[in-house]
Amino acid sequence: MNERVQPVYLEDKLEEIREDGHLKYRSKSLPTWCPGCGYFSMADALTVALNRLGLDNKDVVVVSGIGCASRFPFFVNTYGFHTLHGRVLPVATGVKIGNDALTVIAVGGDGDAFAIGAGHLPHAARRNVDMTYLVFDNGIYGLTKGQTSPTSALGFKTSSTPYQNGDMPVNPLLMLLSYEATWVGQAYAGRPHHLADMITQAIEHKGFSFLRILSPCVTFDKTNNTYVNLGMKVRDLPEGHDRSDRLAAMARAMEEDHPALGVYFEEQRQTLGEVMQDAIDKAQGMNLAPKGV
Amino acid sequence: MNKSGTDIQFAICGSAGDGTIASGDIMKRAAAAMGFHVIAFDVYPPEIRGFGKCISRIRISSEQAYSLKEQSDVFVSLNDGHAIPHVGEVRDYGAVIYDDHLIAPVAEGGHISAHIRPAQIPYGLPIRQISEQATNAARSRNIVVLGYVAGLLDLPAEAFRKVIAQKFASKPAVVTESNIRAFDAGLEAGRGVFRYDDVAVGAAPTAADGEAVMMTGNGAIVRGFLEGGIQSYFGYPITPATSIMERLAVELPKAGGRFLQTEDEIAAISATIGAGFAGSRAATATSGPGLALMTEMMGLGVMAEVPAVVVCSQRGGPSTGLPTKTEQSDLNLAVHGGSGDAPRIVIAPTNVEGCYRCAGMAFEIAEKYQVPVVLLIDLYLSNRYETVFPSDKNVFAPKPREVPKVKEGEDYKRFVLTEDGISPRALPGDAGMMYTATGLEHNELGKPSDVLHMEMNAKRHHKLKSAVNYPGLTTSKRFGDMGKVDVGILGWGSTFGEILETMFEAQAEGISCSAMKVVMLSPLPEGELRAFFDDCKVVLVPELNYQGQFANLVSGAIGRPVVRLNRTIATPMPVAEILSEVRRLAAEVNEPVAAAAGGV
Repeated sequence: MNERVQPVYLEDKLEEIREDGHLKYRSKSLPTWCPGCGYFSMADALTVALNRLGLDNKDVVVVSGIGCASRFPFFVNTYGFHTLHGRVLPVATGVKIGNDALTVIAVGGDGDAFAIGAGHLPHAARRNVDMTYLVFDNGIYGLTKGQTSPTSALGFKTSSTPYQNGDMPVNPLLMLLSYEATWVGQAYAGRPHHLADMITQAIEHKGFSFLRILSPCVTFDKTNNTYVNLGMKVRDLPEGHDRSDRLAAMARAMEEDHPALGVYFEEQRQTLGEVMQDAIDKAQGMNLAPKGV
Repeated sequence: MNKSGTDIQFAICGSAGDGTIASGDIMKRAAAAMGFHVIAFDVYPPEIRGFGKCISRIRISSEQAYSLKEQSDVFVSLNDGHAIPHVGEVRDYGAVIYDDHLIAPVAEGGHISAHIRPAQIPYGLPIRQISEQATNAARSRNIVVLGYVAGLLDLPAEAFRKVIAQKFASKPAVVTESNIRAFDAGLEAGRGVFRYDDVAVGAAPTAADGEAVMMTGNGAIVRGFLEGGIQSYFGYPITPATSIMERLAVELPKAGGRFLQTEDEIAAISATIGAGFAGSRAATATSGPGLALMTEMMGLGVMAEVPAVVVCSQRGGPSTGLPTKTEQSDLNLAVHGGSGDAPRIVIAPTNVEGCYRCAGMAFEIAEKYQVPVVLLIDLYLSNRYETVFPSDKNVFAPKPREVPKVKEGEDYKRFVLTEDGISPRALPGDAGMMYTATGLEHNELGKPSDVLHMEMNAKRHHKLKSAVNYPGLTTSKRFGDMGKVDVGILGWGSTFGEILETMFEAQAEGISCSAMKVVMLSPLPEGELRAFFDDCKVVLVPELNYQGQFANLVSGAIGRPVVRLNRTIATPMPVAEILSEVRRLAAEVNEPVAAAAGGV
């Protein structure tokens, strides 16, 4: 305790950050999130990951839906498409099919992903579209000022559940594991370095990677997913966790009281792009006639 | 329509499973192979099985025809129960062909022979017996009657044999052989039988127009898409658009393109917009219920200025409506559907050839104006066959893209306000031009901002203005008497075929008459419309919907009164109904007192 901590000077730190290079992935627009929002560390972690992977800005497309999290594309210096509420996955699928050379990163919140857009989740996952889906999960609707979300805890009081939330929250990891996603992981906004590692791995994965990122909403949730509560609850996945074992991953995913961070599951399977290329190759060889008219 | 040449309509009616549609298919292919113009349309029930009524009608002519005729010249019954209500459509001295050796007793009035009018010529023959003698089975009745018709009308049998062989090429050889035997047996029975001279097929026209290809509206759209350089397609099954998807599932990978059946229509349009954003020539096809789901995403395409091509083949509505019956009631949805002021391009071809040409140009137009383009057709156009003369393949081939230029050190303004409203578009992968497209109102850089809302709205509307004069695309066209006329008939979509036929009939009766088709419904060719209204004492707008959606659109846009003829009868518009309205109006405009009372 008595050891003297070396002082860190702001100028040195800024120089270090500049030299690191990840700032070139930041856009000129300042994020519009509330001060203290967990999404700042996510935006930073993505730029760190893109820099680490050495991706060219022009070859990256960040696609989002609608919500606080979905404002994300404006804050990164890549191509971006801020689309409609719940439609991030099919639009991102179209972008990837439209130009396979692009690195496609889909971004959205828990409402976008598990409420209005939930119907698209199984299909992006089972088709194994080669893209990364980052879900910023704060368990509340922020942009519409604090209503309950599909991941809100039972009993949570919000402006739309003034007495209490009685809807059982969904388990996003369990959903994606059963939807045949080929990469499923969890991270926490309060651990930015781990988060950057996880995003890097998710992008590196060939196929559909789903990363749930737990975050507080500092404005509309003062009781539930706060930094204090989340910080005390989260832990690492145990050392021996076998990420090729879907059932083991599901068992871990069900331990919701103490959400574990890390890669739950990973496997290699033919991607949608490969399936389509396969169809193109097969079509050249066989002169199939169309059915009917 | 030249009345001196061949113009004969063949109809065959049976129960699902009788091979009615297959028989019609062979007839129309054989006629096309002989060099005739063909228009054909099948009516079938929504159920896959269940003994519903099937009718196949084929009009065979030496000159281009524009619709089916209301009266058939030759009518075949494979099932009297279904055919009896339709025997009235056979003209005087026309042929009614039926089985006169039924094996089961029928109730009083249950046999078609009891319903044939005195002027109609009955041709009873033992259809089942001939089939059984020729093939040991009754299921070739549909082929026997084809042979009979070929014999009766002295048609070249070889053309039929060739089509039969093609049709059954994928089956074991015995299937073809037995069908040819059935055809030949029918041919033998029909030869030399008495018929009236005008129930006849003359010599085929000499093929001056190049190679004729017979296709449906949906087939023509697929062909246009392929020639227009389609790169990706996303679809969800829905009648009557499904065959576009099924055909592209086969053909698109052959052309190196990417095909995906999505989880719903929302995903289909979302992926189409996503692929369009990435620079791919992408399309989807649906019907009214699907288009209703797509309107929100089409609004994003308008706002974010993303090209996309959406085919909507209309069927009866609202809601699930009449899935296998034609209607023109999705015009409002196609032109106006969605939130806010969302201008888009809507093109409604009027025939199969038009489907091919509009689909061929759709991607180029969508890319030029950076907006979703709706190709609005209907079940009647989707499913009907016509002979088409495709153009040289290079006509619709994509032209190289111009990459926008940005000065060193300057930001790329994706939505820069320009004279014509069109801003140079960068694609992901272009260096130094990263931007974020959004459904939020934005500034020239694409950043969310409401400061320029008025200017951006003006830009999105103004940029489409020149589309009505798009080179190579017929956006409107006038037919018949030019200059001042008594009655103008204004139409859109598949109904225009019936309108043209009506106009010819009216002219033949001495009525001063002109017809105009409008192909581009948004933006409307307002100048051409005004000129047409100036020339016509009265303008009649026949369309297959209850509200008069096109009449509302036109009269709202140019502020002129129209006379409406709205029918929701689950079939194409009868020429007779339009004609009687034209006669009434012609009489009215020539009687000053009546004219003052008529009108709006």
